[in-house]
Amino acid sequence: MNYSQILIDHFRRPRNAGMMRHPDGVGEESFDGCGDLARFYLRVVDGRVTEVRFQTYGCGPTIAASSAGTELASGRPVTELLTLGEAEITEAVDGLPAERAHAAQVVAGALRAAARDSLTRRGSPSQAKESEHV
Amino acid sequence: MSRRVYLDHNASTPVHPDVVAAMLPYFQERFGNPSSVHAFGREAREGMEVARERMSDFLRVGKEEVIFTSGGTESDNLAVKGVALARGGGHIVTSQIEHHAVLRACQFLEGQGFEVTYLPVDGDGLLNPDDVRRAIRPDTILVTIMHANSEVGTIQPVEAIGPMVRERGIPFHVDAVQTFGKVPVDLARFGIDLLSFSSHKIYGPKGVAGLYIRKGTKMVAVQHGGEHERRRRAGTENVAGIVGFGKAVEIRGREMEAEAARLTGLRHRFWAGVSASVPEVRLNGHPTRRLPGTLNMCFRHVESESVVLGLDLKGVAVSAGSACTSGSVEPSYVLVAMGVPVDWAMGSVRASLGRGTTEADIDYVLEVLSPLVRRIRELSPASVA
Repeated sequence: MNYSQILIDHFRRPRNAGMMRHPDGVGEESFDGCGDLARFYLRVVDGRVTEVRFQTYGCGPTIAASSAGTELASGRPVTELLTLGEAEITEAVDGLPAERAHAAQVVAGALRAAARDSLTRRGSPSQAKESEHV
Repeated sequence: MSRRVYLDHNASTPVHPDVVAAMLPYFQERFGNPSSVHAFGREAREGMEVARERMSDFLRVGKEEVIFTSGGTESDNLAVKGVALARGGGHIVTSQIEHHAVLRACQFLEGQGFEVTYLPVDGDGLLNPDDVRRAIRPDTILVTIMHANSEVGTIQPVEAIGPMVRERGIPFHVDAVQTFGKVPVDLARFGIDLLSFSSHKIYGPKGVAGLYIRKGTKMVAVQHGGEHERRRRAGTENVAGIVGFGKAVEIRGREMEAEAARLTGLRHRFWAGVSASVPEVRLNGHPTRRLPGTLNMCFRHVESESVVLGLDLKGVAVSAGSACTSGSVEPSYVLVAMGVPVDWAMGSVRASLGRGTTEADIDYVLEVLSPLVRRIRELSPASVA
């Protein structure tokens, strides 16, 4: 399987890996086909993502795409992440083999879910409290 | 990174330099068609027949009982379909952990009206000979069981199955692609009627394999054309490949015993190192009845392909038990049949050692494996759940 140098670099040195205490938004996405699972944590200040962390179970490309996804999401308005597509993730790792396209799917889905969660929490403080123990 | 360690010998092996040297004249000097009557043809045939003699000496069978094919898959297909189609119908006994060449040949035959029993294995991947006995019916026409499983390395009790099958007058096929030239195969004592064996697993070239067919075994050809290989397998023989295969077998005859002992020692060193340095790891396959150089392990909460990629980046070649293809990953059917839980089975990695593997190689892999698994686990939500 041929992977891009960018993908390999993210796999070797994942950025922003690990969980986040008291996040403003958490989102998960799994891919039923292969059991890959990505979870993203967002810190949001004034509607903008200031910190992103991830935890991922999966093959190398899914781990790399998660790392690239954190860099992609960081600094952006959280509402922008609601429409984040797979193509942007794929591009961030300089392409994915067709058999590994699910890596971008999982990561984009998890980031969208984290953005939705953060916006929901903003509207409902009680939910935010409950989710602090994630 | 310059160090390269190849631990995927069950997939394929490098061709032995003496094998390459033996093959070379058959590409340009002795290139004739072995079926031709002229001198060019006779030279090619001579080389091929010397190779056949080496096979038959190694297996201690008659020369006329050995035919050459294009690979282990063809040998398995010919054995299973050739015997079954000669009967026209009936029942076949096999196991759930056979190579796909046997499993899919059996599935094809089911589509033609044959019935097949796929026997289960135990937690070590071992078949119970009593299960075979119980599965045999009056209309059973073939029993086909692999000698050793390529993934986990468990060696099946063919020595107990064969004589019992022969007593009942049923042909017994053994897929020995992973054991041929690695551990002894006693055809007479094991009661084997058909044996598949391959070249590129034992430092010979790819594209050539063999099938032993015991004299008197009723079967039909599945590939039609000329009268090659005693009308068992039509098609001009891969002469250079066969010559190389013959040389590879000759070398294995000299090296096999010492090499098996050496690889067993290296495998023990490897497993001792892994189990001491990596938590939540399990060994798959039978603890003692196994291929000398095959080590299959499951790392919990780790997806096997990420270990394979991580090791690849360190110059180490191993194989993943679960392969993520076309967006779907299924744990290995062999591990599932052995009852390995899915959260373990997804993290299975096979290392298969060979004649080039050294202690220093194993120590290097141990050095890079433990931090790699730890790092991947730290990334995983499962490990903190």
